[in-house]
Amino acid sequence: MTLGKLVFKNLTRRRGRFVFTLLGIIIGMGSFVAFMSLGGSLKSQIERESAALGANLVVTPKGSCAYEQVAILTGEQLPTTITAEEVAAIRSIPGMRAIPYLAERSAIENRPVSVMGILPAETKEIKGWKLSAGSYFPTETTEGAVLGAVLAEQFALAPGSEVRIRGEMIPVLGVLSETGGKDDLTVFLAMPLAQRLYKQKNTVSYVAVRVDRIDEVDLYALKIKEKVSLGVVSDKQMLGSVLSIVGTVNVTLQLIAAVAILAAAFGIVNTMMTATYERKREIGILQAMGAPRSTIFRLFLLESAIYGLLGGIGGAVLGFAASIVAAPYISQNAATSFVKGSQASIDPVMLIGAVLFSTLVAMVSGLYPAWKASKLSPVEAISYE
Amino acid sequence: MSDAIIKTVQLTKEYGRGATLTRALRGVDLEIPRGSFTCIIGPSGHGKSTLMHLIGGLDRPSGGSVIIDGQQISSLSEKGLAALRASKIGFVFQFFNLLQSLTAAENIETALMLAGVPEAKQKPRALELLELVGLSEKADSKPGQLSGGQQQRVAIARALANDPPVLLMDEPTGNLDSAAEAEVMAVLEELNKKGKTVILVTHSSEIAARAGNLVRVRDGQIEAA
Repeated sequence: MTLGKLVFKNLTRRRGRFVFTLLGIIIGMGSFVAFMSLGGSLKSQIERESAALGANLVVTPKGSCAYEQVAILTGEQLPTTITAEEVAAIRSIPGMRAIPYLAERSAIENRPVSVMGILPAETKEIKGWKLSAGSYFPTETTEGAVLGAVLAEQFALAPGSEVRIRGEMIPVLGVLSETGGKDDLTVFLAMPLAQRLYKQKNTVSYVAVRVDRIDEVDLYALKIKEKVSLGVVSDKQMLGSVLSIVGTVNVTLQLIAAVAILAAAFGIVNTMMTATYERKREIGILQAMGAPRSTIFRLFLLESAIYGLLGGIGGAVLGFAASIVAAPYISQNAATSFVKGSQASIDPVMLIGAVLFSTLVAMVSGLYPAWKASKLSPVEAISYE
Repeated sequence: MSDAIIKTVQLTKEYGRGATLTRALRGVDLEIPRGSFTCIIGPSGHGKSTLMHLIGGLDRPSGGSVIIDGQQISSLSEKGLAALRASKIGFVFQFFNLLQSLTAAENIETALMLAGVPEAKQKPRALELLELVGLSEKADSKPGQLSGGQQQRVAIARALANDPPVLLMDEPTGNLDSAAEAEVMAVLEELNKKGKTVILVTHSSEIAARAGNLVRVRDGQIEAA
């Protein structure tokens, strides 16, 4: 017999209670891990999208708010009010490259997808795209579509097939290699076709600007503002404001998870207190056999710790599974559309962290019951019937 | 009675205070000879169990002293007292004596673990002890699968785990039928012959009649034999 074996035997003697207490911790830790994992991938995806945009400055419609900045990074539909004249004026400023985008939405098989009107050659160059199948737009006005890798796979589309946008069948020209970002889930059209389909008369959603001299980025922002009456944000400002929104969402989610963990912790306290009362006489017998208080304390604390350890492992598995299963569904929402099923991955540091955290919470929960058990006087414990 | 394994001097124990003050023991002077078969007998509520708890180091006196195998228990810390119980005294109680979730052998192994015996040596020693009480074939039975007498014999085997010089028992046959009582008494007498000091608290005069040394407790005091 070892203390560990004794603890295990004690835990499993009331199987129902053991399982239900454990489930409480698994659910609490599971929701915590799921929210952390979703939140974590959200943040890294945003940083990746910001980098993928390849812009130092973004020109947006005047008075656009943080939500619209989120939309630029997520590929949501945006108000389309920047005119061709304004685009031309921006593009005429020397020392920088300005690329307009028209961000729209469509649906394939009733699932929403992003549609992006682009200047094919310049966008390809700035984004460093490669093709995995078919061909790219041969001209700036070709009436065809180039698809993101994940989207093509999801809807089984390949060069030669057609995709319905706004009721019109558009031939698929090619499929991009996977980028790991929202471009993977986007239908790209040449700007004239996109503007025609979405009935936009030469207007675009935003303009991404890359300056030649990064240290003069503020100067260029001023230059743009001199030429056109539009909003200009730097990529850093945009990233900052988007991350702050996501941060708020994350904190809220984690607070909800914290409540679940707190409830589970009290479940442990409850179970261990019940065990203390139920096993009062046994504690007395152990004391009579010569078990010092420290042994009784350790016995009960270890039981709590095992709840936490098993609950942490179960919760981590459940949480990651939930985040992988849930990600594609919640990715249809603007603020969370960074979360892609294909991006969900298991972070071993977080897994170990979750298990350790759960064990720690369980041990803290077990402190009071263990202390109560160890403080029983042998006579009181033995006389209990 | 110079070689006393347990000795009490003016031992008192009080519970409560003021109007609720109960004086369970009122100045008990007692010497239990090493190797004796001692019965502590008396009516219920007269202080037998309190006396047993004190001489077994399960509780501390309100006044006077208890000396177990030469050691004053009042000078011991909680930890020291636990160590003393582990090494000097083997307890057997009337009810619910065994840990219900463990087998007979595991119950004994637990006592061995508490005494610091390495795991590898626990099983052979447990089987040896079960053999001693005639229950080697019940090693893997849980308490629920054993009769009352068998459970009590396992408890005796467990009390012997650490080879203590004293076996201290509170009504060990109080819950048994005559046949089971005879089984248990036979085991105890055998152990006494092998040199163990057996102290038995009972209110059965039949059992008391078999004891070599009789201590009568009444109203918290020792009655003259």
